[in-house]
Amino acid sequence: MSDYRALGGVPFMPKPARPAPANTTGVVGWMRQNLFSSPSNALLTLVGAYIAYVTIMAILNWAVFNAVFEAESRRECLDLVGRAGACWPGVVAWSRQIMYGLYPADQIWRINMGFLTLILWVVPLWLPRVQSKVAIGLTAVLVYPFLASYWFLGGQAGFVWSVLIAASIACFVWVWATALLESFTGATFGRFVLTLLGVQHRSEQDQRRVLRAVAAAMLLVAYVAVSFWTLPFVPTTRWGGFFLTLVISGIGIAFSLPSGILLALGRRCDMPVIRIACVLFIELFRSVPLITILFMFNTMLPLFLPVGVEVNQLLRAIVAVCLFAAAYMAEVIRGGLQAIPRGQYEAASAMGLGFWQTTVLIIMPQALKIMIPTIVGNFIGLFKDTTLVSIIGLFDVLNMARAVGEDTRWLGLFIEPFFAVTVLYFICCFAMSQYSINLERKLDTGPGGRR
Amino acid sequence: MNRHLSILAAAAAVGIVGYAHDAQAQATLAQVKERGHLNCQVGLPTPGFYQLGDDGTWSGIDVDVCRAVSAAIFGDPDRIEYQSVTSAVRFTSLANGESDMLSRTTTWTAVRDTQLGLNFAGVNFYDGQGFLVPVDSGISSTLELDGATVCVLTGTTTELNLADYFRANNMSFTPVTNENVNVLVETYLGGGCDAYTNDKSGLAARRSAFPDPTAHVILPETISKEPLGPVVRQGDDAWANLVRWVLFGLIEAEELGVTAANVDEMLGSDNPNIKRLLGVEGNIGEGMGVANDFMVTVLKEIGNYGEMYERHVGENTPIGIPRAGTLNAQWFDGGLMYAMPFR
Repeated sequence: MSDYRALGGVPFMPKPARPAPANTTGVVGWMRQNLFSSPSNALLTLVGAYIAYVTIMAILNWAVFNAVFEAESRRECLDLVGRAGACWPGVVAWSRQIMYGLYPADQIWRINMGFLTLILWVVPLWLPRVQSKVAIGLTAVLVYPFLASYWFLGGQAGFVWSVLIAASIACFVWVWATALLESFTGATFGRFVLTLLGVQHRSEQDQRRVLRAVAAAMLLVAYVAVSFWTLPFVPTTRWGGFFLTLVISGIGIAFSLPSGILLALGRRCDMPVIRIACVLFIELFRSVPLITILFMFNTMLPLFLPVGVEVNQLLRAIVAVCLFAAAYMAEVIRGGLQAIPRGQYEAASAMGLGFWQTTVLIIMPQALKIMIPTIVGNFIGLFKDTTLVSIIGLFDVLNMARAVGEDTRWLGLFIEPFFAVTVLYFICCFAMSQYSINLERKLDTGPGGRR
Repeated sequence: MNRHLSILAAAAAVGIVGYAHDAQAQATLAQVKERGHLNCQVGLPTPGFYQLGDDGTWSGIDVDVCRAVSAAIFGDPDRIEYQSVTSAVRFTSLANGESDMLSRTTTWTAVRDTQLGLNFAGVNFYDGQGFLVPVDSGISSTLELDGATVCVLTGTTTELNLADYFRANNMSFTPVTNENVNVLVETYLGGGCDAYTNDKSGLAARRSAFPDPTAHVILPETISKEPLGPVVRQGDDAWANLVRWVLFGLIEAEELGVTAANVDEMLGSDNPNIKRLLGVEGNIGEGMGVANDFMVTVLKEIGNYGEMYERHVGENTPIGIPRAGTLNAQWFDGGLMYAMPFR
């Protein structure tokens, strides 16, 4: 203030800003600016609004206002509203099959438990103070499937498989113990155990021995639990619906990323045998349509197997999807690797990093970061491609939706189930793409981010 | 029926047969018994013949043939793993040993029987291609369809039959094709074509789901022969015999008046035919590798052919195909259902 006074005693007071003109603020202003800025734009807006109104009203009329929500059969629906409204009871009656396939009704809780376990497994990845996220993420991909087989397949597993399932359960316990400990105390699980047992001051070798013993004890407890509490066996031929879609695409997605990375690295490597093998694999699977690969694995493969050897049909389909997805992912990753400037490799070499260090610490983090939109695009594509398994007779969500209209009670009902499945697919794909945008924003690679 | 017959798949099946013969030399019946269940191939759900219920069970007149075979072998009609396969690969799936039998509205034709390594075990439904038209079109005969647009499934013998028939009668038509029945039906209902052609059983089933079924009529002419029945791999005659005679048993039981309800009573019957059918006399079952009284179990669980028919496609079902006076009636009623004698 004293400075102003020095300029002549009258303090400089800026006039309070006037509010913006009414027609440029608020809803009206926004509409003037964006929708009606010129006569031609105004016309386009009106025409667009009319088209949107007509379409949305038609859909709403069909799906909501004229729809039948309670009926015993499609005939009843037809008698009530004819074809002017949707007949939702058919979809409701079939909703269990659409979601879970032919899975026994009294066992469906296992599917829910399986997916709940997966969600719980990955939740720590989003908790802010958890440090061991890489380990948790890796176990979710590598170890969780054994636990999933316990829930989904059930039955008496062999010794080795039971041990793997037990390891999976022990791992799950470790994940949550780690997550909780790191969130509240900041200590790792190992440190906590050592402190608990009062051996934190012993030699490092002793500590390692104790930790190993603790791990073995956890494994043993889990093994006993698994062998005491077996679930009834549900053959994969009864798997179906959205559950099957999630299983196939989930495994495909989880498998394609790491194997795609390896294939991409193999294709760029200097060792001729590895390079040629990778190129052959990638080009072979990329040049053949997925449906052909599925047919090959589904109907041709059994011919080449000796009599009596039966490879599970679902397994064959999953392997086919995985190989196909891996080949595509490899090329996506290679594109990302190509975008990393030469200087990065040279700088890494100059620092004395070897091939793996360079790849893991310098190149991959950058490459994967710029590849996020493409990778997620690929995942979404794979998720939708799995509908092709309906052609080889697996009852995925699409095939189940088709079956609704062939049930004599709901004969001819096919728009409604497909509509429901469309919504289901949209929700999943939209969620995936939103997550990818979210991730981009977090990692600052998107259009608005720093470079 | 021949839906979606893919030449490619047929060719593949032909190529495979030579190999499959050796590979499948082991008796199918022994394999099935050892496995503990029957691998029965059906198609994508089709009302009346093999449909999936909202409780997850398969049912239908074709499914009942499989259930009868399972009952004959295991004494339990539900020891079955159903394999729902698209038409294009149905024979390949049989040839490669994945399915033990298929029972899925498959037409018995010369080429299939002689060149694809298949054995047809009999006929459980005589079908034929027909036309569906709106009543108010005033059309009462197929011969009045000159110049019509006709909705037809693409890639099927239905399409070929249609072309043959119109050419033979010197008429022209415009096909509207799609590979999805539902889309064709929508097109037909929306006025996109003058007539919809398919096997008559299919026409009846679809019509039953129209907003007003009485507004559409199936024309009397039948332009093709579609004998539908169960199929097994060639090269295992004993297995083919078993499937064939279970089917004959179902038909014979109707002729002799044995039903699911009265089978126990009939065990005490004096009629030598009934005695042989139910295994009270003779050892027909043993000769086929199953229990002598296999038909007792089959009839208790499934009922005779007539009961099967009425349960799944008969007049009291939504599909409602009348049986009397059609090819599917018993031979003494003027139909073609004729079981070879059980003796």
